[in-house]
Amino acid sequence: MLSISLPSAAPPLPPSSHHRASSDPDGDITMSASADDLDHLPTTLVTPGEPLTTSPQWMRGHGTYLTPPSTITSSVLGHITKTNKLLSVTPLHSRYTPEIGDLVIGRISEVQAKRWKVDIGSHQHAALLLSSINLPGGILRKRTSTDELQIRTFFSEGDLLVAEVQSLFQDGSASLHTRSLKYGKLRNGMLVVVPSAMVPRSKNHTVVLKGGAGAGEVEVVLGVNGFVWIAKKRVVEVKKPEGGVQGMVSITRLEEEASMALYSNENDEVDEATRKEIARVAGVVRVLAREGVRVEEEVLKIGYKIAVEMAEEGDEGLEGERGRRMVERVLGS
Amino acid sequence: MPREELLSPEGLRLDGRRWNNLRTLKLSLRTHPTSSGSALLTSGHTSILCLIHGPSEPSLRSKQQHDRCTITVDLTYAPFSGTDRKRRNRTDKRISELRSVIQRTFSRAVMTHLHPRSEITITLLVLSQDGGVLAGCINAATLALIDAGVPMWGYVAAVTVGWVPGQGGEGEEEGTPVLDVNNAEEGELGVLTLATMGDKGRVILGMLESRVRLEAVEGLMAVAVDSAGKVKDMMDEEVRRHGEAIARAAGVGS
Amino acid sequence: MPKELDPSTNEKNFILESLYAGERLDGRELDAFRPLELEFGEEYGLADVRLGKTRVIARVSAQVVQPFSDRPFDGIFTITTELGPMASPGFEVGRQTEAEVLLARLIEKSIRRSTALDTESLCIVAGQKCWQVRADVHFLNHDGNMVDAACIAVVAALQHFRRPDVSIEGETVTVHSMTERVPVPLSILHVPICEGDGGDEANVVTLIDATLQEEQLRDGDMTVTMNKHGEVCQISKAGGVPLDPIAMHRDMNLAFVKVKEITAFIAKRLKEDEEKRVKRDNLLESKAENER
Repeated sequence: MLSISLPSAAPPLPPSSHHRASSDPDGDITMSASADDLDHLPTTLVTPGEPLTTSPQWMRGHGTYLTPPSTITSSVLGHITKTNKLLSVTPLHSRYTPEIGDLVIGRISEVQAKRWKVDIGSHQHAALLLSSINLPGGILRKRTSTDELQIRTFFSEGDLLVAEVQSLFQDGSASLHTRSLKYGKLRNGMLVVVPSAMVPRSKNHTVVLKGGAGAGEVEVVLGVNGFVWIAKKRVVEVKKPEGGVQGMVSITRLEEEASMALYSNENDEVDEATRKEIARVAGVVRVLAREGVRVEEEVLKIGYKIAVEMAEEGDEGLEGERGRRMVERVLGS
Repeated sequence: MPREELLSPEGLRLDGRRWNNLRTLKLSLRTHPTSSGSALLTSGHTSILCLIHGPSEPSLRSKQQHDRCTITVDLTYAPFSGTDRKRRNRTDKRISELRSVIQRTFSRAVMTHLHPRSEITITLLVLSQDGGVLAGCINAATLALIDAGVPMWGYVAAVTVGWVPGQGGEGEEEGTPVLDVNNAEEGELGVLTLATMGDKGRVILGMLESRVRLEAVEGLMAVAVDSAGKVKDMMDEEVRRHGEAIARAAGVGS
Repeated sequence: MPKELDPSTNEKNFILESLYAGERLDGRELDAFRPLELEFGEEYGLADVRLGKTRVIARVSAQVVQPFSDRPFDGIFTITTELGPMASPGFEVGRQTEAEVLLARLIEKSIRRSTALDTESLCIVAGQKCWQVRADVHFLNHDGNMVDAACIAVVAALQHFRRPDVSIEGETVTVHSMTERVPVPLSILHVPICEGDGGDEANVVTLIDATLQEEQLRDGDMTVTMNKHGEVCQISKAGGVPLDPIAMHRDMNLAFVKVKEITAFIAKRLKEDEEKRVKRDNLLESKAENER
């Protein structure tokens, strides 16, 4: 039998000079490798491979795995979350994971036979089925083979759209739908991408801001996947049943027909003042996300108001220091 | 190079280290916030940057696997990384081999079954090479994957150990292992790059490329496994420090 | 581009279960090689290896070239491997897959880096002329463990090869006059490993000389190259199930045993071939005498 023994000299020392960040004397109570003290769960950060507990009362959730015989071990860097008897670890950073009901913004990456593949910044592209979109001609219009052949007249590669997650496939990827008039192709604006953790799920994801300085209204669509669309406010054109076209704001009258204008690729005329405000809102969103403030309706409204105020005070622009000051004022209010 | 130069009778190496001293190790995570994950590792004069993209939709349909995530590795040596400026061909066999080796290692270390039909791309850039490049790449990739939130079975920690042979002949003096070799030592000695995964010291990667006696291999492996454990502790320390800084900063925002 | 078919779930379960019970499909022991056959060609430097159904041919040739500018006293040694559709439908000509690159590198490292071939002896005129020895490996059939078969073939071919004699005033090529110097013959052992579902080390089964099916089901592999003097020339274990270093060492000792066996086998075959040639040459000579 072989035996591996260390050489007769002393065991390896730590390096002669080792980079040590400014150590936190009271911060790091890490329950690392010691597998003995597992009944008391570590309360701070856990790292991959770190044993959490052997107690059988816990069920293991996301971010953990089971080391035989009965040790629940973390698989990511993150914080422990305990929900009833479920023990999971939420990673500090991860890609957006779709949940049913999420409002997301995506870009068409591929056109397939009866569906599109949409990039939503998740682990896989989402699928948008032809049967899940509003076809011009009303909700009860039958899908024909002509529609399949002309699939690119609806959405083509590179188009941006806002949709809702209808269901999830077995591997976790999403299936989207745009079956309401508030979803669909996006125009007249710009896209800002922020980490998905910065856009929390909330009741209202569409925020309308009254543009300062004589500009029109600016609409912000906050996608839960971190894609934020800032544009001139949408006006949905709907054919009235009696004939004639009416530009309307209400989007709940599904019995009315949606016209082909829904899928138009033409941008409207956007005047310079509105464009400037759109850019300003984009700046606000970016700075908020950068400073770790979650972008929600209220915060966004306050942030925009302060940005306009700062501009009036002569402090135009939100780069660097100005951005930080803006955030401070937001947090203060 | 004669043996005495590599290891003096007093036990000092070319750069003044002893046989069991690692070089100065500097680690940083999240150096590139635009990537899913990133890390920069410097060990002495060897400096390696790792960027992670994913898990995301595979770039090629052929790369999609129905039951697991595909790991793609891209390894580049910067032309200014060595003493002489040299443009290394992507198809260079040595680089292809290193790519395959790293890809196989992480295909095992990452929990690929959790992300079927996705692809994780590990991009490694060797900014400066002074020995121990493979080990540095492995360590940098581990840190970057942790930063990206990719689930793994544990840390993959790698070290390079060289073997300075004994005097040989009658009354043979036993050779000595030397930890964390630099370029000069790597060119002359038999060198073992070894990576362990998890805490129990199991070997996930072992590459030896020059002649060493079988009995010496036993000692080499023992030293390597032990030092890999120490390197893992150092990586863990930096990961925790980084994680706590982020958690603190997040507490500032709403 | 046909891809090699993965074994069906049935086959997979059957083979794995048998392995955990210690049995292999062809009835071999876990650490036994398949029947190894080695034949040499008419001309020097051609070796034909059969390892079970795996078949590899190696051809060694030499020509005179200019040495590399940074190594004026050394000859040049190159190995080329090409996996083509003859070996297996999954391989494509021209496109180097990852497997091919690894295989080529493995053979190169084993023989070149470990200085099995003394390149200094290949020098003719320093800085101007030297021998370039070239080993071409052809894979004729893939039934697992091409690494071992290829290395045995190359090593045998190198030992078998005779390079022409050279005199410094121009080159007078005289056949069969000098032998290639291969001071340290090698053997390679390719050890695939199969792991159980528990992911526990207790369930690790180690095999030697896997067939194609066993190779497709493996969960990792380790290749150790050693020579008969007990020196390890290279170790290659990348990914796959993490191993206990003690188990690794035990496998390496096993490899050493096999290496010695195979080296002896090659030597035996070389000797037999030599005797055959001598007999043939003697016959020729005696014939010439009779014709007088």
